[in-house]
Amino acid sequence: MTGRYEIVLYNNKICYRLDVKRNITVLRGDSASGKSELIRLLGAYNSNPSSSGITLICEKKCTVLNEENWQLFTETYSDRIFFIDEGNGFLRTTEFADTVKRSDNYYIIISREGMPNLPYSIEEIYGLREGSDSGKYRLPKRIYNEMYRLYGNVPESILDLNVVVTEDSNSGNEFFSLLFPDKCISSAGKSNITKILSQHFNERVLAIVDGAAFGPEMQKCMELSDASGGAISVYAPESFEYLILQSGILEVPKSVLEETWNYADSAKYFSWEEFFTHYLSDTTRNTVSQYSKKKLNDFYKTAGNVKSVYDVLPESLKAIVDAF
Amino acid sequence: MLSIYFGTYKGDNYIDNPDLYFDNTYEDEWLNDPVSKQMVKDIDRSELVSPNLVISPVLGSIPVSRLSGGVKTLIQINNDKDHVYNASACGDNCVPWLLKISEEKDVLVRLGHLMRFPDKDFHIRIANTDEIVDSRQVLVQRVISEGMLDE
Repeated sequence: MTGRYEIVLYNNKICYRLDVKRNITVLRGDSASGKSELIRLLGAYNSNPSSSGITLICEKKCTVLNEENWQLFTETYSDRIFFIDEGNGFLRTTEFADTVKRSDNYYIIISREGMPNLPYSIEEIYGLREGSDSGKYRLPKRIYNEMYRLYGNVPESILDLNVVVTEDSNSGNEFFSLLFPDKCISSAGKSNITKILSQHFNERVLAIVDGAAFGPEMQKCMELSDASGGAISVYAPESFEYLILQSGILEVPKSVLEETWNYADSAKYFSWEEFFTHYLSDTTRNTVSQYSKKKLNDFYKTAGNVKSVYDVLPESLKAIVDAF
Repeated sequence: MLSIYFGTYKGDNYIDNPDLYFDNTYEDEWLNDPVSKQMVKDIDRSELVSPNLVISPVLGSIPVSRLSGGVKTLIQINNDKDHVYNASACGDNCVPWLLKISEEKDVLVRLGHLMRFPDKDFHIRIANTDEIVDSRQVLVQRVISEGMLDE
């Protein structure tokens, strides 16, 4: 499934508007912000759409999954948006993760737990808040997003940073080692990042992660960052490959980067991280710029191309690089 | 004191879905308790009139089954000492009540995420290791460095 979809669901008391554009969207936040009421309303609508008194406006069918129906519905249906409330034990299972992986559906999941088997984006973790106009609408609000962390919250003290931890072990680490010589270590995967950060808790640390799939670890990272008083900072672009595609080194149609939801088919790509890696590898195959995740082609290490990637980094990160 | 087990709790008395469990097991006397009424007012911004009636400013008159999962969990933690509840059903706005309840009694809950506790002025026992911590900094460090949420 591809595309970006608006979902409007309302009765005479309450209205929800959601916007989904990736295979997994996560809702979390304070109690009593209306998350479970959203599920209840959709379930009531589906039980009798014409007589429920509830209106659903969405290009795609929307369905609630629970312990009883999830396997049947996910095997039977495609091209749908599934909603799942917290408290469903199957969310933690590898069977469910495997189902999402090959799924031609989108999933909106309510959960405060990390769900490490699901590579959701830090940009698709939302809370619900009351709309500011009349209080009639509830609008989704991002709890975590890349822009918030990178452009606003990199503290001054990070300029004297001690360690840079990259989630990537090969090409991404190789590249950032060029920007941060002798400071760059790899966590060899996203699940190790928080452990390594906690080992360097009393130092000034920059973590560079692939935001497109880092959602399960983001809450822990943010807690560590806050508890460290800002000494731990997180930079979370979509992925290293995204930075290359964005840098202008290669000719990339704007829409691939700006409307990725129209290209990253959920049935083929578990996350946009996978899509960007595939796109970069595919479009450079058998050329001088051939990209491999395992080893960084010298083409990307030239001063000009390193500068091109540097140019698309946020200013706060450029300042850190410049301090070296 | 508040004791927290982080990660997968395997006790027979564990309730993973406190929202659903509440609907089918709550006692009327729990809902007549002034503390329950205060929690509903604070968390759900609603009035708990009686065990059969809640007045919500958004939804109107509703049954107690439509209270938030967070406040249902708090009411159970405060009234049912026989079970260990999944406090990941509670948002960060439930933290003051969780700490307040555990000032009066020993409480054990399970968490599958890092709830946002205050920076200091609390005592929490990490049940996984039996360690007592008194700051968020130490709590967060311990939970992550020991991989308690990685199971």
